Amino acid sequence: MKILVCIKQVPDMESPFRPNGSATWFDESDLAFRMNEYDEYAVEEAVRLKEQLGGEPEITVLSIGPDRVIEAIKKALAIGCDRAVHILEPEVASREPWQIASIIAAYARDKQFDLLFTGMQSQDRGSAQVGVLVAELLGIPSTTTLVGFAWADGVVTATRELEGGVKGKVRLRTPALVTCQLGLNSPRYPTLPNIMKARKKEITTLQAGELSSEKPLTGSAAFRHPEKKGSGVVLEGSVDELVEKVLVILKDKTAVLR
Amino acid sequence: MNFELTHDQKVLQSAVRDFVENEIKPIAAKIDEEHRIPDELVAHISEMGFLGSYFPEEYGGAGLDMMSYAILVEEISKACASTGVLVSAHTSLCCNPIYAFGTEEQKKEWLPDLLAGKKIGCFLLTEPDAGSDAGGTTTTYRIEGDEVVINGAKNFITNGGYLGTGIVLASFDRSLKHKGITAFIVDLQSPGVIILKNENKMGIRGSYTTAFALDNVRVPLKNLLGQEGKGFNVAMDTLDGGRIGIASQALGIAEGAFERSVAYAKERKQFGQAISSFQAIQFKLADMYARIETSKLLIYKAAWLKDHKKKFSLESALCKLHASETASFVTKEAMQIHGGYGYIADYEIERMYRDAKITEIYEGTSEIQRIVIAKQLLS
Repeated sequence: MKILVCIKQVPDMESPFRPNGSATWFDESDLAFRMNEYDEYAVEEAVRLKEQLGGEPEITVLSIGPDRVIEAIKKALAIGCDRAVHILEPEVASREPWQIASIIAAYARDKQFDLLFTGMQSQDRGSAQVGVLVAELLGIPSTTTLVGFAWADGVVTATRELEGGVKGKVRLRTPALVTCQLGLNSPRYPTLPNIMKARKKEITTLQAGELSSEKPLTGSAAFRHPEKKGSGVVLEGSVDELVEKVLVILKDKTAVLR
Repeated sequence: MNFELTHDQKVLQSAVRDFVENEIKPIAAKIDEEHRIPDELVAHISEMGFLGSYFPEEYGGAGLDMMSYAILVEEISKACASTGVLVSAHTSLCCNPIYAFGTEEQKKEWLPDLLAGKKIGCFLLTEPDAGSDAGGTTTTYRIEGDEVVINGAKNFITNGGYLGTGIVLASFDRSLKHKGITAFIVDLQSPGVIILKNENKMGIRGSYTTAFALDNVRVPLKNLLGQEGKGFNVAMDTLDGGRIGIASQALGIAEGAFERSVAYAKERKQFGQAISSFQAIQFKLADMYARIETSKLLIYKAAWLKDHKKKFSLESALCKLHASETASFVTKEAMQIHGGYGYIADYEIERMYRDAKITEIYEGTSEIQRIVIAKQLLS
């Protein structure tokens, strides 16, 4: 069995985000980067499947971006992926989901992967498009927002999270692609010995431009902070005191009680 | 020259940071209150490979470098200085001398259990009347056939309470001072190893600091580490490396207190504005950060020198001196920034303030570090 896990490196969400010079995306300088949270579930699930099958499947992890994405790749290798493909694209932020999916599909097309895992969406762009687009481009079935995964005899049984807490169950015959959601698993920590072992695993570097020259279908027009609204007030005290304070605020600052 | 961590070091830093954030930080206050690191946490850090970071894979280590070890201890100590010193003393003071001075048989016999965390290591040098003056060791040994019989008392032994594996320094002739000292690897489960007490301390309360009586402790002669009469060299070399560990612990404490101070200063309002808008607070933060950054550069340089097999004894004393004094300075300023809240146990700064002081005392006081530095400058 051959498995492909697609991961993205995103800024730490606690970073201070600032618009870049053209105000179309965020400025990357001074940001700390880490693996997209949903992709961590994808890596973990792929490694669990490998363990379930006695180590037989070969897991390739793929990431597109500048040199820094090697860190996300190495983490995936330390968790248990076998080999890696780094698709070098220094200006990855300017590539929109259609282009990213086209690059991945161009790489994966002749590789006969049985299963592809991706995150449900990225924490920075949040389009949730790349996974499903890759599946469409490859002409294979896909399902999204997995909170449960099982594999037996070439069939994936996926539990999906739907709106309002409803769960759906989907069966897909491989080759197939699934996108992973919070709740699917608790990713393990890479151990120190495994971080060391990851150093010896193969990382192939390819150029994004050699895989796909698709033009963008969408563009980011502007990037700015939301307008500042008045700051919130936290009231403290007993319930009676809180009621009094709320009444005072409603009387003074609103027309509700007039 | 390159001041960037490598990809591998960054992967390690971020992995350790995540682990510490989720598994250690939430229980750091409890570790302090209960004077104990839970067994489950010791088991978990063992599984993570934290107890074998820079030793080769053939002995069960992770095969990383000294830089990675410094980062590891630093990251752990940001949240919990007790767990930081558990790792540091175990690694630098027990595993390292066995690795550096042990025979191949000794390494194969002792390192796998230590590096897997099945045994926690400690270093039995200090005695009630021999602290900075290691040459004043009064614990004695005599050889009987293929055994060594050790008698004496040791105190302030970090990790002693685990009764794992100890490096014991003892003298065969006290009149020879440091030339009479020999190092032994001792299974602390041996008959005659008696815990007199685990000390109740101001800080690093989760870490064992143990006083021992050694009453006719019999050790196989094959456990002699290095050469007879060369134990003082084993001790001094061990402490050189240990200083990088303690400096990293001190740096972590300082960084932990600094991060909380910046966050608090932005959030706390007085006179209608965040206290971070006052220059009195800004100057404190700038001074704290300046000392933290210089400590970090000194530590990473010392670790880099050790990794590149260069002489690092001056630099390790320098980084230990500077980082430990920085930890005390930064936690003191952090408490001042936090005001009354800093003095209350709920705010963590109180614990960090107590934890910081020991870094100026153990594994060579600041005064001893200055002597080590001056001696090398003037030699």
